[in-house]
Amino acid sequence: MCPWTLATEPLIPDAGPMLDAENLVPDAPVLEVHDLSRSFGERIAVQRISFAVAPGEIYGLLGPNGAGKTTTMKMVCGLLRPDGGTVRVAGHEAGTLSAKALVGYVPQDIALYPDLTARENLRFLGRLFGLGGRLLDERVDEALELTDLGDRAGERLDSYSGGMQRRLNIAAGLLNHPSLLVLDEPTVGVDPQSRHAILEHVQDFGRHGMAVVYTTHYMEEAERVCDRVGIIDRGRLVAEGTRRQLVDRLGELDRIQLGASGDLERLAEACRGLGGVDGAAVSDHQVQLLVHDGRSLLPAVLEAAERSGVPISSVDVVEPDLEAVFLQLTGTALRE
Amino acid sequence: MAPPVLVIAQKDLRQRIRDRSALVLGVVAPLGIAALMSVAFRGAETIHLTLAVVDLDHGATATGLVGALHSPALRDLVTVVDEPSVGSASTAVHGGHAGAALVIPAGFSQSVTGSRPLALTELTNVNDAIAAQITQAIAQSFVAQVNADRLTVATAAAAGQPPATAAAALVNAHLALPVTTVQRAFGAHQLKIISYYGPAMALFFLLFTISFTSRSFFVDRDQGMIERMLTAPLHPQSVLVGKVLSAFVFGIVSITVIAAVTSFVFGADWGSPAAAGLLSLAMVLAVTATTALVIGVARTQRQAEGISSFVVFGLALLGGNFVFVAATPALMQRLALLTPNGWALRGYTDLATTGGGLSVVVGPVAAILLYTVVVAAVAAVLAPRALSR
Repeated sequence: MCPWTLATEPLIPDAGPMLDAENLVPDAPVLEVHDLSRSFGERIAVQRISFAVAPGEIYGLLGPNGAGKTTTMKMVCGLLRPDGGTVRVAGHEAGTLSAKALVGYVPQDIALYPDLTARENLRFLGRLFGLGGRLLDERVDEALELTDLGDRAGERLDSYSGGMQRRLNIAAGLLNHPSLLVLDEPTVGVDPQSRHAILEHVQDFGRHGMAVVYTTHYMEEAERVCDRVGIIDRGRLVAEGTRRQLVDRLGELDRIQLGASGDLERLAEACRGLGGVDGAAVSDHQVQLLVHDGRSLLPAVLEAAERSGVPISSVDVVEPDLEAVFLQLTGTALRE
Repeated sequence: MAPPVLVIAQKDLRQRIRDRSALVLGVVAPLGIAALMSVAFRGAETIHLTLAVVDLDHGATATGLVGALHSPALRDLVTVVDEPSVGSASTAVHGGHAGAALVIPAGFSQSVTGSRPLALTELTNVNDAIAAQITQAIAQSFVAQVNADRLTVATAAAAGQPPATAAAALVNAHLALPVTTVQRAFGAHQLKIISYYGPAMALFFLLFTISFTSRSFFVDRDQGMIERMLTAPLHPQSVLVGKVLSAFVFGIVSITVIAAVTSFVFGADWGSPAAAGLLSLAMVLAVTATTALVIGVARTQRQAEGISSFVVFGLALLGGNFVFVAATPALMQRLALLTPNGWALRGYTDLATTGGGLSVVVGPVAAILLYTVVVAAVAAVLAPRALSR
């Protein structure tokens, strides 16, 4: 259960005008991103991205590595200045002290001190958010309890398992009771049990009114926890909507998943030439095919595979999902 | 609620205290090395020589020299033992009863007025280099004086005076010369070895704060901690200021502990506490500014380690933390004054040897603060960039 109330007033006295309870407009977006762009030298990382997230909504930003998710999140948190466009958090320009006070950030890598205990890490970060005294103790206890780390709070982080460190990484983002929680690939490298626990927590945050932006390249996670999903590729937001809305774009298309070893590109190329195949891409020792009427096309696909000389180890015809949407929109797989 | 700067500094100090290597370098190592030097050089700063003298001449000049060596002015430095022969003197030296011996050959006084003056002979022990050096200094300065007298005698003789009369008068007038020589060789003020190397080692290891803190910044950055801190509602500069503040506090604590221990345990003389404190404060500020500069210049942890090592050892070598600057060539002495630690060591040395107070360290403190202001100004431009790299 998520026991807290969201931050609505300044934690830092000199942080300028802050959001207060009277200023909260029900259902008004907590996060508004408009025409956001950012380049690094010649490389365009983010190109005119716009989206909004309402209170209690879990918004997924789904895309492969290098698509621009982290750059977008850093601009939302005020860590990077946009080249163009705006980001507003509850009406405050991102990067201002008042906006930062309302945002909880969980970075992709574990950003905690390994030589400090879990409690010391949280106390340090909580104090940076202006917490002190009994309130700090309460928030630290609450975050530890929420992430099931209360009984090991006095142990140094370097004695924690990877999954526990991930959970503490998330706990650190909750100390200020943020109105907007930004989770940047929070489950990378964790075991299935910890991943399940993290996803449960994220869903809980949303149920209790927190706006959550969740970036991932795991289609299953986006499908499971997100109310809406934005699909991002090469810095552009190529589609946005609920899972149903996105899948409906596929119409009658199915996805065939070929497990194989060897020259997968050759196999994909062989399948692209078949009638009824809308797209083919390689990912994680698999070839993903976007096809019309998958079951009737299957014999032709297997014949093409045999001609290519690449041995097939498994074949699955999958119901339309976000992976298929991504394939249709970008011509590539999520995990290339 | 504590300001973020203090929160960050406090956290850094907590980590540093837990890091044993930092404690070792900040406190244990300087104390250990200062103690070792104190033991190694124990007694070296209060030299006393037993000098055997063999007078085979018994002439006026020889008697004058022996008398001068027996004079009260030299009593604290030299005990003269008259030996009847070269053999007995040699036995005394090699038996360790005398540090060295000086042999005045027969006919020495007479030779002063002649064209071929006789040489004084030194008998020394290879195991007592200091005694040999003192004896050599006495002999050389006396011979130099005699040569000057010979010139005067020759001039007087040329003017028509009887040579013997002129020579005897002049030699007797200059017999105090070796006393001056001995005093000059060992300094009018007794600077104990520990009073130099205590501060020198304290400053040398204080310089390591530059390495620790700059490295800590880049470790934090690589761990994503700088970024995480910057998501909190604080001014970005707070992160940098918090980091260097921890360096400042650690430096103050380190140098204070070393000053206290070397003073009370090893008898080092740091001079007036107020003046030494001011000097130390200025030096810690200089180190803090240098730390900020290294953070501003380096781009990676590895670069920070390389640059800080270069800075630490460069400053220590130039500033005289390893060798007594006053004993180095003039160029090195001038180069030492380009470094804050060189000025600080000069200040500590002046405090120990003059017994003066704040007025003694005004110059060194001003020089250190000038260095600090210049370095801090450059760091103020460069260091904030490290946050956005």
